[in-house]
Amino acid sequence: MARNRILGVVGLAAVALATGFLLAGQVKAQLLTPSNEVGRYQALVRSVQDLEKTNEASRAKIAALRAEIDALEGAAAQQSATTRELQNQVADLRAHAGLTAVHGPGVEIDLGNGTPAPDQAGGIGYLINYQDVQDVVNLVFARGAEGVSVSGRRITPLSAFSGSAGQVVIDQGPPLTAPIKVLVIGDRNRLLAALDDPASLLDLRTRQVRFQIALTVAGIPDLKLPAYDSSLQIPHVSTS
Amino acid sequence: MPSRRRPDRAIEIWLIALLVALVATVQIRSQAEVEKSLVGTDSTTLAFLIDDLHRANDALSAETADLMQRKAALQSGGSPAADQELTAEANRLRAIEGLVPVHGPGIVMVVEASGLQALDLQDALNNLAVAGAEAIAINDHRVGMGVAIVQVSGGVTVDGEQIMPPWTISAIGDANRLAEAADLMTQQMRADRRVRQASYRVEAVVDIRAVITARPFVYANSS
Repeated sequence: MARNRILGVVGLAAVALATGFLLAGQVKAQLLTPSNEVGRYQALVRSVQDLEKTNEASRAKIAALRAEIDALEGAAAQQSATTRELQNQVADLRAHAGLTAVHGPGVEIDLGNGTPAPDQAGGIGYLINYQDVQDVVNLVFARGAEGVSVSGRRITPLSAFSGSAGQVVIDQGPPLTAPIKVLVIGDRNRLLAALDDPASLLDLRTRQVRFQIALTVAGIPDLKLPAYDSSLQIPHVSTS
Repeated sequence: MPSRRRPDRAIEIWLIALLVALVATVQIRSQAEVEKSLVGTDSTTLAFLIDDLHRANDALSAETADLMQRKAALQSGGSPAADQELTAEANRLRAIEGLVPVHGPGIVMVVEASGLQALDLQDALNNLAVAGAEAIAINDHRVGMGVAIVQVSGGVTVDGEQIMPPWTISAIGDANRLAEAADLMTQQMRADRRVRQASYRVEAVVDIRAVITARPFVYANSS
């Protein structure tokens, strides 16, 4: 009887051990893919974060260099009427190109993501995307805007909008996500009328109804727009 | 005998339950970690983002180098150097703002279609800008910041003038990048029932003679 019991315990232990090894093997095999996935993903995220830090530092350096150049030009302009005249011309051109900070009356447009709901755009119709921002910027420029910034990024004549799935990339800046704030300097009444027109921004308005996307517009007596802080190079263009 | 076997069975059941709970916890936590870190952005999007940021940072480095050179020239040269720098800067900004005729390498795209909207044209122009276009014109109308592209009952107007088909879009910039973008754009356009023909050609010299009329600021003031 005692011998049978010992054999029973040994048999149970052997089965438990085999089960344990099988389970451990199974767990290891199943976790291998997700662990690698996490590792790869984290490496990609770290790369993005490092590149964004470099991007931010470069843009700060560009802003500082432009301020230093402006000061040096100002000092030179004190010594010569020709230089002063040239500096005035360049100051005006820089302001129109978005290279200097400006202020004035205008409108503030706030865009916010809506609520997820089934749609034909891969389920991302509720997200604010780069085309929404592009449409708003085009509309306000068509209605006489003199300066525009998007979540702190000044728009220039060479500005381009790209991005995917709720990300908005403008020029050389890091991706922006909603809420997006568009500040516009110009004729407030004309801008407000254009933005309130039900025939404008049709795609946004349709998604506003369907996904409760936020689109709010307010007139502001004095807005401040930052200077553009990225590259404005035209290496392939020659003047005739 | 039954009273001795009952505790053994209880231990076995507890051990199995513990093991199952352990495996389930490890598995669920691992999956949760993956899902948590993937919120909003997938790996492919991140890879594209990295590519974009590399390109952006290269452009920023080039701009920094250019500005440092200009600063050094201003520091060493006094008024004559300042005049030279300011003249060059004025010419460059006039080209950027579309105030002077320009030429350079690029592409010319021709789109023969009926029913295309202002939004289609704006998208096309933005795609070329993303591909690094430095100057663009459509049917000899320069486009740029402040140039209104508007949908009207008869079609599309650029700066108040109707643009009749075919649309000929000229863009100056890195010809390879522009050609890549134009290739993709014309492929997509050909799949559009409104488009009868869409093609592009790369040119060593694209000449854009049209200019934008400068508009003085009325509302904006320098800070």
